[in-house]
Amino acid sequence: MSAVSSSGWLYGAIQRRRNRSLGGLYLVVAAFLILYAVLFPGILSVGGFSKFTQNWFPLALVTMAQALLMLNGGITLAIGPLVSLGAVIAATTMGTALGVPGGILAVAFVGLAIGAVTGAIVAHLRLPAIIVTLAGSFIITGVALILLPRPGGFIPDWLSITLAGHTPVAFLLLVVIVLAWKAFLATPLGLGIYAAGDNPIGAFRSGVPVEQVKIVAFALSSLLAALAGLFVAAQTGSGDPVIGTPFTLNSIAAAVLGGVGFLGGKGTMRGAICGSLLLSVMINVMFFLGFPPVAQYIAQGLIIVGAVAVPELLAKGRARR
Amino acid sequence: MNNLENSRRLLAGAAAATALLVFSAGTASAAANCIKGDRKAPYTVGWANIYSVPTWMKQTEGTISAEVEELKKAGLVKDLMITDAQGNAQTQIQHIQSMIDANVDAIVVIAGSSNALDRVISDACDKGIAVVNFDSLVNTDKVTAKINTDSNEWGATAAKWMVDQLGGKGKIIIMNGPAGISVSDDRRKGAQPVLDANPGLEVITETNTEYNVAPAQEAMTSLLFANPEIDGVLSLGGALSAGSVMAFDRQGREQVPTSGENARQFLELWKEKGLKGWATMQPNWLGALSVYTAVQALEGKDVPAFIKVPLPVIDDSTIDGYLARAADFPADGYIYSDYDKALFDKLLAQ
Repeated sequence: MSAVSSSGWLYGAIQRRRNRSLGGLYLVVAAFLILYAVLFPGILSVGGFSKFTQNWFPLALVTMAQALLMLNGGITLAIGPLVSLGAVIAATTMGTALGVPGGILAVAFVGLAIGAVTGAIVAHLRLPAIIVTLAGSFIITGVALILLPRPGGFIPDWLSITLAGHTPVAFLLLVVIVLAWKAFLATPLGLGIYAAGDNPIGAFRSGVPVEQVKIVAFALSSLLAALAGLFVAAQTGSGDPVIGTPFTLNSIAAAVLGGVGFLGGKGTMRGAICGSLLLSVMINVMFFLGFPPVAQYIAQGLIIVGAVAVPELLAKGRARR
Repeated sequence: MNNLENSRRLLAGAAAATALLVFSAGTASAAANCIKGDRKAPYTVGWANIYSVPTWMKQTEGTISAEVEELKKAGLVKDLMITDAQGNAQTQIQHIQSMIDANVDAIVVIAGSSNALDRVISDACDKGIAVVNFDSLVNTDKVTAKINTDSNEWGATAAKWMVDQLGGKGKIIIMNGPAGISVSDDRRKGAQPVLDANPGLEVITETNTEYNVAPAQEAMTSLLFANPEIDGVLSLGGALSAGSVMAFDRQGREQVPTSGENARQFLELWKEKGLKGWATMQPNWLGALSVYTAVQALEGKDVPAFIKVPLPVIDDSTIDGYLARAADFPADGYIYSDYDKALFDKLLAQ
């Protein structure tokens, strides 16, 4: 009994410490959300909230996909192409005999399989993830272009309306996925992702199957990216073989913004998701403030630097005290 | 609330009646697509650009701003909101959604993906917003008007010119824009029937690059090393042609017949190197025409659902006229043909 409560106390203390470094980011995101609601009160309606979260949702998913690997000490440059491939597979299968369930399974299977293969190459051949996923990104882009040389394909209307209509289904899905991540972290395998990222040798000596963990991390990451593609296909009502490209860089930006480190083990999923929310809400806020495009480029850069610098400065201030 | 709604409807009815009186010839009898007649001048126009950095886009934005200034003087437009999706179709969806949220009266858009914007654009149309789509078109027909030149014809005419130049026999290289982009795909598709009909024309290889000089020059340079015999370059984009001509020049190779676009750089090289050239264009003023069309539609005029703009052609007889105006255009820009309100009215009347 006392052991449980003391581990609970330890857990709380660790979470508090991890949250503290995110305090600045939370403040910045909250400020932007409030500003957005002031500029556009319609966001507080169900329809407005739904549309906003739908535009954020795919970025949130790919940021989770990226953060998952970065926490494990890896990185992937294949996020964007995987989104495209997911969208293309969804748009080319759902009109056939496979139907919607078959299409979803196909996307999930391809995502998992590509991730597992990539993970196996990285883990067992000991090649750098950045090179393997860079090569992978070219192959995946090529396959997407072969499957669907130009935008098109078919997504049933009801699926588009269900996932991206005037209801907050996308947001609820995000909540479910985050809860699933929480549950997964409670398993030894989930914990292993952090452990192997933070200190691979230590993790190995404590019995974590480091290589297996890496493969699982890649598989889950690719699954998330492919599912983001599925959602994009539903949201747009079609497939587009190059639509995912910008997601690669944005996923890294959002994860880093959210405090996820490049060296593994450092950072939190909630931080990463917050980072993606900031990138997304920023676009709308700048629109409603009437910034001209050139100013938007500059403002975007300043906001990102600010969001990273503010927590750092706050931490330094605390340390001095 | 109900009263307000009613009085609005009354007003709209009255306006429609006046419109009918004014245009008693019946031009206003059928409102254009998406138009509900409840929006009053001066209008707010949203310009949802996919990517503002390329020079072509900057020049296009220039014609849009100029047109808006004109319409402001006429009391028809009060505000222009500009967004730049930085090449990200997903961001463009978000921008158009924000324009709907901000209740703009008109949206002028170049699509970052032919399909991705369909749903958000039909949402805008449902709200009675005049949506005019030009250059890179969307799939959905729930827009007020689509405005473009014919990309298939672009490719076909260029290929025909090449056939004529080479007498139907020779080895050519085809230079395309990026893969998976509708415009580049359509131009290439348009060229295919002409190539099929002229089997004497052998396509050595094809390139896919961004519509920029540097990557095109790089691609052509490596092809020059590999291919000692090239009789023609069927380039399907202006900056691509400039890159190709420069690659030939750097390698000391004799220039070959080269098709292209109205890129100032290409036109100047064409004259300077004395090569056999041909060019057409995607006129930048499609932007101005789109704003004009949106406002006309909001004013209750019927506008065609598709406005096909004929491709202006530049050949040896007309190139001097274009080069004479070169100084008015950026060095890496496009020298577009002249336009005025009379031309717009003529295009809208088709």
